Amino acid sequence: MILQLLAGNLIHGLLLGGVYGVATMGLSLIFGVMNVVNVGHGAFIMVGAFITLTLFTALGISPVLAIPVALLMGMALGFFFFYTVMRRLIKAPELASLLATFAIGILLEEVVKLIFGADFRGYNWGLGKITLPITVIPISKIYAFNGSIVIALFLYFWFSKTRLGTAVRAVVEDSEGARVCGVNVGWIYALSFAIGIGLTVMSGVMLTMFIPVGINPYMGGVYTLKAFVIAVLGGLSSPYGAFFAGLIFGLIENGAYVLFAQIPGVAPFPLTVSLAFWMLFFLLLVKPTGLLGKK
Amino acid sequence: MIKNISKYYPLIPVLAVYLTMFLIGFYIPGMWQMVALLAFYCALGQSWNIFMGMTGYVDFGYVTFIALGTYGMALGISYTHQYEWLGIGIIFIGLIFALFLASLSALLESFIALRLRGAYFAIACISINEGLRHFIEGARIWGGSEGIIFYGALIQALGRETSNQLTAFWADFAVFIIAVLAATLNIYYMRSKIGYALTAVREDEDAAKVMGINTTKYKTIAFLTSGLLGAAVGAFAWGVKLAHVFPGDVFVIHYTIECIVIVLLGGAGTLLGPVVGGLIYGLSKYWLAVVLPGFQLLIFAPIIIIVIVIFPEGVIGFVKQKTKGTPLARYII
Repeated sequence: MILQLLAGNLIHGLLLGGVYGVATMGLSLIFGVMNVVNVGHGAFIMVGAFITLTLFTALGISPVLAIPVALLMGMALGFFFFYTVMRRLIKAPELASLLATFAIGILLEEVVKLIFGADFRGYNWGLGKITLPITVIPISKIYAFNGSIVIALFLYFWFSKTRLGTAVRAVVEDSEGARVCGVNVGWIYALSFAIGIGLTVMSGVMLTMFIPVGINPYMGGVYTLKAFVIAVLGGLSSPYGAFFAGLIFGLIENGAYVLFAQIPGVAPFPLTVSLAFWMLFFLLLVKPTGLLGKK
Repeated sequence: MIKNISKYYPLIPVLAVYLTMFLIGFYIPGMWQMVALLAFYCALGQSWNIFMGMTGYVDFGYVTFIALGTYGMALGISYTHQYEWLGIGIIFIGLIFALFLASLSALLESFIALRLRGAYFAIACISINEGLRHFIEGARIWGGSEGIIFYGALIQALGRETSNQLTAFWADFAVFIIAVLAATLNIYYMRSKIGYALTAVREDEDAAKVMGINTTKYKTIAFLTSGLLGAAVGAFAWGVKLAHVFPGDVFVIHYTIECIVIVLLGGAGTLLGPVVGGLIYGLSKYWLAVVLPGFQLLIFAPIIIIVIVIFPEGVIGFVKQKTKGTPLARYII
């Protein structure tokens, strides 16, 4: 019985893990290129969720089409914040960039709250369900998982096969060296920040398929923290590492939940959240470069 | 001896500000609550600044200490309130619990997190904070997510009269004392071997190590001091004053951000900075809450961004540049 429950939850964990992976790739990309931890990460996920909600409820546009819209809007936001704020903070001490990204997050949350109010919202796509012997899976979750795989593959090919992707990797390795080789480093910073934010906003679209009524201006905080755990697990500056770490994290989270729920007298949900953080803590202790990180 | 005292001249303006605040609050009716709020922010900024200002490490999980301080006070009072002969001593037992919990966590954190640098350090600190909060909620220790409400215990032990006085006046008074203590410790560290060692760490940690400085030891001293002061602030400003503690209210990263904003507004690494920053932040927050309730964050966020981008050295950093070479310079660091 418990094994069946565990297996069913692990399937859900894997599907959610793909979305976690995409959600973290943006964080890792920005850290890798600019050495800035985006503490306002969750707010961008929240923006993606609200884009989906608005398109679906007000205009009746399918969430599948919301994905490219979210990417474009996210990139626009990324370019905007890069040229107004982040560009001046690349060489500044961490204190400045951490606080600036946090303030950007607060700004987004408050603006969204001003427009939509602080209530919890949600939408129902109504695609139906697949019934397996061990569990029931809504088809929308499978769409989300496929979407995240496609995005991850697309990013992989962009990084490894195109000139621009190669330039981004060069800046991650050594920004001075890349500059000497004729890479326009300033533009790569701007582009990577914009793509990072675009990916994050896009992951917000797919996340809405896992939280039926959980869309709220302040929903992002918990995903910021999860993204930290996943990013460190994946080696912090490696977007592919982040994707696989997301899958692993989804599995561990949902698996641990089932096991904690068997212990009498505890609240399994917060305990699962705390497990993720203790995991991160010990990972930083034994292998600060991340489970999947090189060197 | 005279020469030694002149090292501590910059403490004069800080103490003058605290004394003025205290007198305003004490003698002008209706001002005490606002002055107490300002003292709370100044004390937090001052305590946070001891570690960050001298080492350059950003402790993003600082609120852990404040929260543990509150829990220490809550546990101390709720365990010992039935022993009537202790009287007011239960507050001191609570404070000892608070300092004990905070030093335990500071030592654990410094053992693990201080070996990390930059972003990894910030993330590790956040992870400890969130991990602890959800662990308390999940494992249902110390009342779990229901928290501890100990106003009843306080009244049972000390009577209604004394408890009211404690929460309305003495808790805030203690925050003043802690703020002064933090300022004094800060300048003492700055003027001693610890300060020189930490300046070396801030400028170039590897070079400092090569020169034979035990960087971990000095970082731990500053971290522990900063954490214990934070715990004391939590124990009084949240513990004794509110007489309840809920994990969802105390382990909130927004309070760390408030510390950072205060220090950055005033000037990171300066002695007077957190006081000035605390006053600016506290007054504007208080004023905005009256004028535009509900919109404080919407207004604060762009201001923070503008300050970071245009004015990163803070008010005192700016004043310091202006007064360089004048007799005033020795009072301002």
